[in-house]
Amino acid sequence: MAIEPRAADHPESLLAGPIPDESELTAGVRIEPGRRYGFFTDTTLCIGCKACEVACKEWNNLPADNLELTGNSYDNTIDLGANTWRHVHFIEKISRGGERATAMQPFQSNWLMMSDVCKHCANAPCLEACPTGAIFRTEFDTVVVQQDICNGCGYCVPACPFGVVEVSADDGKAHKCTLCYDRLKGGLEPACAKACPTDSIQFGELADLHERAARRVDRLHGQGVREAYLYGTPGAPGATGGLGELNAFFLLIDRPEVYNLPEAPSRASNRVAPALTTGLAVMAGLACAAAALLGGRQR
Amino acid sequence: MGAFQRAAGARGRERDAPRRGPTYYGLPAVKASPWHGLVWSYVFVAGLAGSAQILATLADLLGGRELRGIVRRGRLLALLGPALGAPLLIADLYTPRRFYNMLRIFRATSPMSIGTYVLGAFSLLSGLTLLGQVLGERGSSAGRRLARTAQVPAALAGAGMSVYTAALLAATSTPLWAAAPRLLAARFGCSAMASAAAALSLAGRLAGEREAGSRRLDRVAMVAVAGEALAGRAAERRCEEAGVHAIRDGRRSAEERLGAVLLGAGVPLALHAVDAALPRRTAALPVAASIAVLAGGLLMRRMIMEAGNRSAERPDDYFRLTAAAPGRRR
Repeated sequence: MAIEPRAADHPESLLAGPIPDESELTAGVRIEPGRRYGFFTDTTLCIGCKACEVACKEWNNLPADNLELTGNSYDNTIDLGANTWRHVHFIEKISRGGERATAMQPFQSNWLMMSDVCKHCANAPCLEACPTGAIFRTEFDTVVVQQDICNGCGYCVPACPFGVVEVSADDGKAHKCTLCYDRLKGGLEPACAKACPTDSIQFGELADLHERAARRVDRLHGQGVREAYLYGTPGAPGATGGLGELNAFFLLIDRPEVYNLPEAPSRASNRVAPALTTGLAVMAGLACAAAALLGGRQR
Repeated sequence: MGAFQRAAGARGRERDAPRRGPTYYGLPAVKASPWHGLVWSYVFVAGLAGSAQILATLADLLGGRELRGIVRRGRLLALLGPALGAPLLIADLYTPRRFYNMLRIFRATSPMSIGTYVLGAFSLLSGLTLLGQVLGERGSSAGRRLARTAQVPAALAGAGMSVYTAALLAATSTPLWAAAPRLLAARFGCSAMASAAAALSLAGRLAGEREAGSRRLDRVAMVAVAGEALAGRAAERRCEEAGVHAIRDGRRSAEERLGAVLLGAGVPLALHAVDAALPRRTAALPVAASIAVLAGGLLMRRMIMEAGNRSAERPDDYFRLTAAAPGRRR
């Protein structure tokens, strides 16, 4: 990778302060309000080091949780939640097509590893469910929960089709990945993307990421990995049912359910109008029946 | 993407077979709501109060001396919505001191936002209606006019109170609630009307009123109970078709379901049938039937909420619901 010319301006190891627009040097993208940013997580590059989990916890000062061993391969984090905003999945595929594998695939071992995160959906069900307006869309097209407004009603929790957001029992508010909103405002790329040693997690503008991802899928297909596909880009699995697209999308090489992702999730607010209209119609019918039964000649 | 499409096609052929697809160590794919007793109690109270206002308004519009007690008691019962319901909701918040933040915005995509304003409007209008009632009883014709004017929008808000909670549950990713939104709303609406009619009938008998009014309310309750039973059966069938088995699986689900259905529908219908068959009508059997309807309504809300929360923790249910198999019904 060519060295950015500006990198030469900051050769010292101990910096006096943050480098202006540091994301240009580290991620090759300049962060400006009004543009759409997200993650492209290429799971074929993930080595399961969990640097993303650690960086996220450290930057956001999240308390420790899930301290026990689970027996689920190397995944002792279990799932995303109020205090865990990056979660690495480990799936050991011992068999291929029903038979125990006796050889490694050309480019990767028989392990699937994927760093799960809030998808920052284009039509986010959590945002649409939030009655206080605490969850909003930022100037970087990400979805953030404002901690000084949330009153812990918990409606965002069952609304999310990926089981991301959770209300913290410790402080009574809902929490989830902010896509490092504070870092973005300072011109820094998110902590997990910066920490990722293999660039499995790539931060950038959505249009660029889509292009990069499509090229990567073509390249993998050319190398014999025909199962590679994108999850969460417009029209792909994961971006179904009115969700639009997922600003944090993935390159997967197995069915989504293997990674604990739904194949065709749907936008929860699609169901508001049908339920309300049917409910009110039923009430109207019952009111007519009640009027008929309550009225009539008195005996 | 060829491999994935081929796999999807194969799943389409197997869509009627039990799902043997993968999960991630059996871990949940979505999160259960953090709601329990306070919320399902509120759903019951909101439906009862809302439908009580509808019945009171109908009774007033129809006129008739024997319905006057129903008007008065219905308007009183409606106040349970703001008096008991609002504190239940505020207590359920994880940060209750910020309850007023619900009024920062109105969001049409959020039934909780819609419900905030439905509850607010219902509380205000029911309060005005009751105020008018009380003033009217003291001889004020302006009071009677106030009650007569406020009661119709109050009843409309009451219809909202009875069913918006179903829309709230349906607009989530919880498999049991999302699988059959319309039938859930029908179920909640019928249950609310049944509970209100049973409560008013019971109150009438306890107040020593003549039987006729209470007996008419009992008929309303039985119609609503029958409607709820039908809607419930249809909803469960729709859930099964979508692959959500949460209601039928497990001993706890069976107990919950039995309690709700037996008490809510079986017992009251049986008691009324027995009472009708007796040579002389009793008061005890209909009273017992009313109590059974109320208990059944409360248990049904509990069943829906707890079984729903359990369905969110069953990845198989969620993945069946969100499978992209061709021809799968929404």
